[in-house]
Amino acid sequence: MTVLEAKHIRKSFVGVRALSDANFALRAGEVCGLVGANGSGKTTFARIVSGLLTPDDGELRLYEQPVNLRTHLDAERYRMAMVHQNLSLVPEMTIWQNIALGREMTGSLALLDNRGAVARAEKAMETISVKISIHERVKNISPDEKQLVEIGKALAKDPRILILDEPTASLDFHQVESLFRAVRELKERGVAIVFISHRIWEVAKICDRLVAFRNGETVGELDFAVQERNEKLIIPLITGQEVREKIRKGSAAREQEIARHGDSGLALELRGISLDGGRLTDVSFSLRRGEVLGLGGLQGQGQEEILMILAGYLKGYSGEIRVDGKPLALRNTRHAIRRGIALIPGDRQKEGLFLERSVLSNLLYPKVSMHRGSFFLPMGRYQKLASGAIATVSLVPPDPRLVVSQLSGGNQQKVVVGKWLALSPNVLLLNDPTKGVDVGTRQNIYEIISGLAEKGTSVLLYASDNEELIDNCDRVLIVFEGRIVKEIHGDDINEERLVVASLNVEHSGEKSPGAAHEDGRVQ
Amino acid sequence: MLVLLIIVNAIIQPGFFSFQVFRMNFMTFTPLILVSLAQATVILVGAVDLSLGAGISLVTVVMASLMKDSTLSIVSITLLGVAAALFLSLFNGFFIGYIGPPPLIMTFATSTIWFGTALLIMPTPGGHIPEAYYMIYGKTLGGFLPVPVIILLVAVAFCLLLGRLKAFRHLYAVGGSERASRASGISVPGTKVFAFLVSGVFIALAALCVVGQTATGDARSGQGFTLNSVAAAVIGGIAFSGGKGNYVGAIIGGIILGLLINIIYFANITSFYQEFMKGVIIIVALLFGAVPRLRRELSHH
Repeated sequence: MTVLEAKHIRKSFVGVRALSDANFALRAGEVCGLVGANGSGKTTFARIVSGLLTPDDGELRLYEQPVNLRTHLDAERYRMAMVHQNLSLVPEMTIWQNIALGREMTGSLALLDNRGAVARAEKAMETISVKISIHERVKNISPDEKQLVEIGKALAKDPRILILDEPTASLDFHQVESLFRAVRELKERGVAIVFISHRIWEVAKICDRLVAFRNGETVGELDFAVQERNEKLIIPLITGQEVREKIRKGSAAREQEIARHGDSGLALELRGISLDGGRLTDVSFSLRRGEVLGLGGLQGQGQEEILMILAGYLKGYSGEIRVDGKPLALRNTRHAIRRGIALIPGDRQKEGLFLERSVLSNLLYPKVSMHRGSFFLPMGRYQKLASGAIATVSLVPPDPRLVVSQLSGGNQQKVVVGKWLALSPNVLLLNDPTKGVDVGTRQNIYEIISGLAEKGTSVLLYASDNEELIDNCDRVLIVFEGRIVKEIHGDDINEERLVVASLNVEHSGEKSPGAAHEDGRVQ
Repeated sequence: MLVLLIIVNAIIQPGFFSFQVFRMNFMTFTPLILVSLAQATVILVGAVDLSLGAGISLVTVVMASLMKDSTLSIVSITLLGVAAALFLSLFNGFFIGYIGPPPLIMTFATSTIWFGTALLIMPTPGGHIPEAYYMIYGKTLGGFLPVPVIILLVAVAFCLLLGRLKAFRHLYAVGGSERASRASGISVPGTKVFAFLVSGVFIALAALCVVGQTATGDARSGQGFTLNSVAAAVIGGIAFSGGKGNYVGAIIGGIILGLLINIIYFANITSFYQEFMKGVIIIVALLFGAVPRLRRELSHH
């Protein structure tokens, strides 16, 4: 049975067309992927289907009946649940309160049935095998756990149609595995699932079928029952062009350059950096000029803390940081920026952008805040700088007057990268820079980064997606529980080695910086 | 903090532990605690009510200008006062929930409307409150329970009941994150109206107490309550951003503020310094009470 069908859906927001002709069908008991670049309309479509937005035009059918969904509650009546990309959790409330939120059961006298709510929450979290106390407040749990709670919240509704909007964006591969297990179980029970993701390999792995959106239109479909599960077939659907040559090619030239500098070319050196509470223990490494060094490992093992210390956010560490061979005690973020260390944050909406300001203002803030000398700002010169940056990051549309919140996620991220270009930093710290960014923009951003590296900028990259580390890094350091447990070089960087090293279970005799710690730490 | 204040108060105020003083204190504490609960409710949902004091004034003026000596009149006008308080709160709630002006500006605007109306009805303090009405407020039931304490107990019982209601859970959700609430299928405007309605109940009780305490109608009688209630709620740990804190905190905040005012009053300082000292002590209270907590929270993020 076709449980969900959408025909010729259109939707515009104040002059911007989000969907022009979206078509989609979903059968009971199948997992259908929905892929597309950022701004292709996937999330808008999901929000329309789940009743959070009303379409301008088009037909929506549920269980082969035409429907008109006005609110999210309407959709829930049809036993549809959505896992939101931008989380729908209230931080101050506990996990079980959040899972019950909006559908609290009441007992006699309209009083809340808390015991029942706790039981239902427990059951939901069990299905996705999560082991956190459901009495914990959501503000105290990590982003990946929040994502799991969000999924648990949708499952607690016992849906027949489940929409997962980027459910894996902040999960590590273990959690993705348990999610996939839950998805397969639901599928067996006849639940129809829409799976929206940027991670192509996930889509290829879990979906029975996939539909691709481009610029608000349905542009293609792959049915894995008849077609091969090949990522190469999927990417052209999304980008509309053949797979581009991978960036890694350029790094051969870079390696020569790095070798030429030798040991004199150390841009950054960390010696025995530790943070209290075991968040970081004895972290030492060096970063050469023009090198792209990766930080890998499971999520939340201390990679972000390393970046935060170098950016001057986190203080109170012990150990020594040396920049250009000289010891440097970072006082604050301003100090770090002045010394040529710039951080591109992972949460662009929170830390990287002034959403309600124009592209121009956003691009110029670092430059303006570092301005010294004349009383008035040299705006003419700055505007030229900004147009230069817009061209370098190939912003679409290339208009400096646009308000950033109106740009798509990928273009927003380009602005975040672009604003540091004018300062030409010596060391660029990247904190999961392509989280929630589509394939095209991702390549774009990494091309810019590799270009900067060729000009001598050193890059320290933390990415939750191993593929990005493989494609871009000259060396990868694996972080585990606040220590660096392994270093992987050049051609040895591959998925398998990264995964094994991340788990810190390897018993090879190889020398690695953390070899001494490995024995006692096997999980 | 609370203990310290009680000790200081006991030293300064003669006969602090005598029943008579206890009863007198609660005659002034009860309205303060009630407005603190009222303010806490709207702050929890992410709003603020600056019209609370003017609302109380308006209710006292309406009651004092209409009340006669007959029992029927006392009961019906009291009910009218309650209805008026609820109406004023609902008016704020509907506008803020369904039309969406910032609560700060909206309630500031209504506060001047309420004040103006009260002045129109009664330009100078006066009116008539029957003896039977204000005597009740000063009475002690069963020899050990002063009426103000009973009113407070009723309010506490109301709080306990609220805690078990679905709409009250939603109040925290909306205050915590409107977007998340909407995505969970909660009616955000409806919840805001509910918060103002609950707040209206506390305001109504407070207004009845003020009438009993002052035995007049006065367009300025509620003035001090607005910002005192905000201060009490914040001292009591209600986060100004909404969705965080509880009624126990609000009650403690109200008592702390009441004790502060008491101490200043009995310390025999001139009225200028009274106000001056009150401000200083509130800042100190915040430094010791709220600020360390806020800093702790910020460092977590």
